[in-house]
Amino acid sequence: MSPERPRRVLVTGATGLIGGRLCEVMALTGAFEPRPFVHATGSAWRITRFPLDFASGDLCDRASVDRAMDGCDAVVHLARGDHAVMRRGLENVLRAAVMHRVSRFVHISSVAVYGSQPPPHSVSEAAATRPDLPYGHTKLEQERRVLRYRRRRGLDVVILRPPNVYGPFASFTVGMVNTIRSHDVALVDGGRNPCNLVYVDNLVEAIFLALWRPEAPGQVFHVTDPEPVSWERCITDHAALAGADVPRVAAAELVPPARERLWRDSLRALADGEVQRSLACIPLVRRWFQWLPEPAKQAVRARLRRSEPVRHNGSLERRFRADHPFIAGQKRMVAHSSEKARRLLGYTAPVSYDEGMRLTEAWLRQAQILDVSSA
Amino acid sequence: MRHLWRSAYSLPDIPAAASQAALAPCPQTPGLEDATQGGSLTIISDIRADVATSGAGARAGTAAGPGIVRIGLIGCGAIAQVAHLPAVLSSPQVELAAISDLDASRLQYLRRRYRLGPIAFRDYRDVVGRVDAVILALPNHLHAPVGVELLSRGIHVLCEKPLALTRQECEQLCQAARSTASVLAVGFVARFFPSTELTKQLLESRFLGELQSFDYEFGSPGGWSPLSGYNLARSTCGGGVLVVSGSHVLDQMIYLFGDVDVTSHADDCRGGIEANCRTCFAATVDGRPLRGRVVLSKTHQLPNRVRIVGERGTLDVRGSQTRSVTFLPSGSPLRHEITAAALTPASAEPDCFQLQLHDFVNAIRTGAAPRVDGEQATRSVVLTERCYAIATTLEEPWCEATLERLAHAGPYPPPDTAAPRPPALASAS
Repeated sequence: MSPERPRRVLVTGATGLIGGRLCEVMALTGAFEPRPFVHATGSAWRITRFPLDFASGDLCDRASVDRAMDGCDAVVHLARGDHAVMRRGLENVLRAAVMHRVSRFVHISSVAVYGSQPPPHSVSEAAATRPDLPYGHTKLEQERRVLRYRRRRGLDVVILRPPNVYGPFASFTVGMVNTIRSHDVALVDGGRNPCNLVYVDNLVEAIFLALWRPEAPGQVFHVTDPEPVSWERCITDHAALAGADVPRVAAAELVPPARERLWRDSLRALADGEVQRSLACIPLVRRWFQWLPEPAKQAVRARLRRSEPVRHNGSLERRFRADHPFIAGQKRMVAHSSEKARRLLGYTAPVSYDEGMRLTEAWLRQAQILDVSSA
Repeated sequence: MRHLWRSAYSLPDIPAAASQAALAPCPQTPGLEDATQGGSLTIISDIRADVATSGAGARAGTAAGPGIVRIGLIGCGAIAQVAHLPAVLSSPQVELAAISDLDASRLQYLRRRYRLGPIAFRDYRDVVGRVDAVILALPNHLHAPVGVELLSRGIHVLCEKPLALTRQECEQLCQAARSTASVLAVGFVARFFPSTELTKQLLESRFLGELQSFDYEFGSPGGWSPLSGYNLARSTCGGGVLVVSGSHVLDQMIYLFGDVDVTSHADDCRGGIEANCRTCFAATVDGRPLRGRVVLSKTHQLPNRVRIVGERGTLDVRGSQTRSVTFLPSGSPLRHEITAAALTPASAEPDCFQLQLHDFVNAIRTGAAPRVDGEQATRSVVLTERCYAIATTLEEPWCEATLERLAHAGPYPPPDTAAPRPPALASAS
């Protein structure tokens, strides 16, 4: 069995935002020795800045995972990918972790397991999960697989559920700036709901603690910034960096998601007088409508009359899609709490929102995503 | 207001197109020399005689027709499959006579994918005797040892960039080529972009007037993924973005502005290889000092262009626009797109890897120097060494500001020092 306090850590998904920063902090602080597992070597530039012990391969190839695990004391599993990577890849990593008797397996999940409308009691980790999108379903399935390895194989697993991760290199951050610039985001109903953010370095702190704290195995933790930040504040701060204004709209003004639009657009087409006249010329349709009971006929007539064109938000061009991630997210009313991580792991979230945004701005300017001259 | 202007600047044809036109297929019957092509046949014979004398490749019994250069591909990674193999297979001037790679499954895949005959070898030395020339697409640290061995045996080498990791290795390669009168060409494919030659001609004709500055900005998040993973370490790659992307930039800069010296270089290397760098250069053009800047990134998107500023305006040469350059006159809102006279607006994008291959073949056939020879390529390696020798660390507040606080979350006390910078390369001056 590996030591209780691991030294060498296999990091899958090491070329991503969290994995990249995790390897960076491990290397710069010397707290752990990272072994980044790299699939596409051309994506590893952020971590090749350090003289690390790279393992390259494919998570779906059991042999390359076994080779990478050899000599490691713990694992942080961050890899994302297609169906095979999310299932078979994870299975290979779990199997190798058991075989090599690692002391800790930290799996990074997501608050997406609660669905796009999380229940109010999902403030804490005890709430029931009910994903409604493919990503949430996959993350929940992964969590179950990881916990099965704890029950059946005695693997010391820890599951962390972060919300939106922001900071340098974060797709949330870059996406927010670009979406504001392209005028595809608005503040919905004042943006008063919580944004559920975690600065990437705070998540790294939680991963560090999960790797060795004896209270961690078998537990699921939310990892969020403790300071509540509303969507209004988050979007407004990013808009200030981007030098753009963000309009305010009511939820009723949003363009509905595609599934709802399918019905609405179909009904709108049917409401067109010419279409109705054409349909009436088709004997089968006419016969079908005549067979309907009178209440059903009246309901259809009423529904067709009620269909209205989609409203534009103050102009003919600008419409905001309700299913855009930065708009759909504003409907989430729950602020997930990391109180359990603070209590059991000693999680402190050392970077405040203001400091996180300052550091993020510095990176955005050096990356020339923001205008350097306006700094 | 945008104004496209193609015809007013009367520019001569670009040499790339000219060299391509000159490389017509050779006559099928040696000895029946005609007035236009007999000379090249004679020279090929001479070269093959030399090669045979030195115990090299032109062994009898191979199937290559007269005038066809038998090519071996050494190193069958991503660039070989994507660029060199298609260029070779579609060229009437060469025959693919051998491929070599340590990875047997890779060889098998390529043989099936391209329906190749029994020409695959795991040991590159097995290609000797089967080829006249090779394309060397191995990891950077193998260019020198393998290249020197093959050149010493009289095999012509088209080496992927950079030529080698150090000036000393470059000089060994050049010496090996000289000693057997073999051709050593270097794969700076950007030199075959029509826009590069067009820029050179515009600068030589003093189109911009007195030059004031130049500014290279090239970057994208991630990119090329070599299959061997040699790009993950300094020992095998020789450096980071300055080598991988910057070698093209440095080569073009030297080509356009002559001798250039580095005045400052900052990068984000932390003991490995840099992903970002900012470098300042100084040159002397027409007796006047010229300053320039190069910004390269492998973590974020940059405009991917060079801007050359002169007293009459700015020349904008974009990486994605290899057929033309854009001129922005001083004090005018107009933009003029300039294209070489030989390239019509409807011309297809040239296959620059095949232009490069044909330039190499032309050098083998005629004895002329290739467009980028070993001596030229050595200059960019020397400049790279100078950059690394004076490197300072880029400021990255987001990287360091929180480290002390995060270190306390680890299981052990934090060490005293962070990873040190690598020592400067030994041959740097």
